[in-house]
Amino acid sequence: MLVLLCALAGGARAQAPLVPPPAAAPPPPSVAANTPQLTADLSTNQVEISTGFTGSSVMVFGATERLIGPQTDEDVIVVAWGPPQATVVRRKVNVLGFWLNGPSATFREMPGFYAIAATRPVWQVLPEDARRAGRLGLDALPLRASGSQAPAFRAALLELKQDDGRWQEYASPVTVAGGRLFSARISFPDTVQTGDYRIEVLLVREQRVIARQELFLRVDRVGTAASIAYVAHTQPVIYGVGCILLAALAGWLGSVMFRRS
Amino acid sequence: MQVYLPIAEMSVDGLLLLGIGFGVGWLSGLFGVGGGFLLTPILILIGIPAPVAVASGANQTLGASVSGLMAQWRRGNVDVRMGTVLLVGGFIGSGLGVQLFAVLRRAGQVDLAVAIFYVVILGTVGMLMVRESVRAILRRRRTGAAAARAHEHTWLHGLPFKMRFRKSRLYISVVPPLLVGMAIGVLSAVMGVGGGFMLVPAMIYLLGMPTSVVIGTSLFQVVFVSANVTLLQAVQVGSVDIVLTMLLLAGGVAGAQFGAAMGTKLRGEETRALLGMLVLSVALGLLYDLVRTPDSLFVIGPVP
Repeated sequence: MLVLLCALAGGARAQAPLVPPPAAAPPPPSVAANTPQLTADLSTNQVEISTGFTGSSVMVFGATERLIGPQTDEDVIVVAWGPPQATVVRRKVNVLGFWLNGPSATFREMPGFYAIAATRPVWQVLPEDARRAGRLGLDALPLRASGSQAPAFRAALLELKQDDGRWQEYASPVTVAGGRLFSARISFPDTVQTGDYRIEVLLVREQRVIARQELFLRVDRVGTAASIAYVAHTQPVIYGVGCILLAALAGWLGSVMFRRS
Repeated sequence: MQVYLPIAEMSVDGLLLLGIGFGVGWLSGLFGVGGGFLLTPILILIGIPAPVAVASGANQTLGASVSGLMAQWRRGNVDVRMGTVLLVGGFIGSGLGVQLFAVLRRAGQVDLAVAIFYVVILGTVGMLMVRESVRAILRRRRTGAAAARAHEHTWLHGLPFKMRFRKSRLYISVVPPLLVGMAIGVLSAVMGVGGGFMLVPAMIYLLGMPTSVVIGTSLFQVVFVSANVTLLQAVQVGSVDIVLTMLLLAGGVAGAQFGAAMGTKLRGEETRALLGMLVLSVALGLLYDLVRTPDSLFVIGPVP
């Protein structure tokens, strides 16, 4: 993992040869005009769910042309978006002493995974309309419900998604080293859904987004877990018969191996 | 040791599953039942989604019952004719049950329905078992020996479509066994159980079958009905998790042999009283879960 990270970090540096090392003197203006304001990359572009998967994390790292920090009023925002996942929120109601699922609200267009991290909270560095337009922050996500419209459902969705770690708001910081190098860790829980993830890295200066870069990441099952899910999904009859035969075989083998009489 | 379950889409402690499998297998070997009625609630308790728990529970029951069936078959304790009649009912019942399950899932009431089914069925069966076995124990204390139950003739024997079941020494209508099989099939699909704990008393008291062939014949029915439920759940709901099943079976088949060895040392009535109390306590635990104020008033889940 460490080797991979170093290798990829090396790759990123090779792609951005014009970024000067932090210790070097300021470059002459002519070079600065061609320098990208922001360069970022991921430690890996694939998260693999194998049979031993317990969650994973990906490092987003990069460099900026100018110094980051409150002194220069320059900030980095990292946002990760998972594939959309329609979710239903149900409220439990008490009927004759029993708690059962009552009214529900269905949220169709919402990311299954969302994480935002920044050097400073976004509401401090961007005006409110820009923050809402960029959907930077959980409260800026467009959550339209079908079914019950009560605001409590939206609040419950926000709370429960954060509890299980699939929505994160400033859960981990964007750390800055040497004034220009930044890194952030995005962690995925074991319940993470498979699919294509988009990671947006934004550079903010003087209340405006002046540079952005999009990175892509794929979360996939691999190995046995992948084959099982694939067969179960595409060939359910064969999978069902396979489950029956395997269970019967295991039962028979067990009775042979552990016979006590 | 964390293991990722590909269908449940979550990771669980593999050793915990092996342990649960062993414990349930031990009890099922001790009492001669499949143990599905214990397994499914425990799986739901540790956070496995109810559809996956029910479907994989049925699959596990199948594996756990196969070895028992083979042992009984060798001893000639399986009434194939009665088993087949029960099975026809069981197939119809499990087909209906899986449809019912899919409807409940769309309505978002699976967890509730599974819990209510468990509370009602386990509560009733547990109460009957405890009452019957306590009576038997008291009677034995009083008279020194258990009184033999006379073969009674009831209205059940007046129904048409009579058939001769040689192994069971019965000449009865096929309607009661068909209905019994069907009821067990529905329960099997909704609760993820084999239904042995209900089938055995139903065969003894409702159908009047001799005890010697009851266990073997009920295992015959359980193996095929749970196979049918596994297939139907895999196709219609897509919630059979083979990794979960295999982990539970690995612990379960070992536990079952130890339990069975211990079971031979216990008396019949005492075993039934203990099993009855176990069944009752599971029912009470689930009932408590239904009536206590939940930690969170809201739940989220995928759109079915």
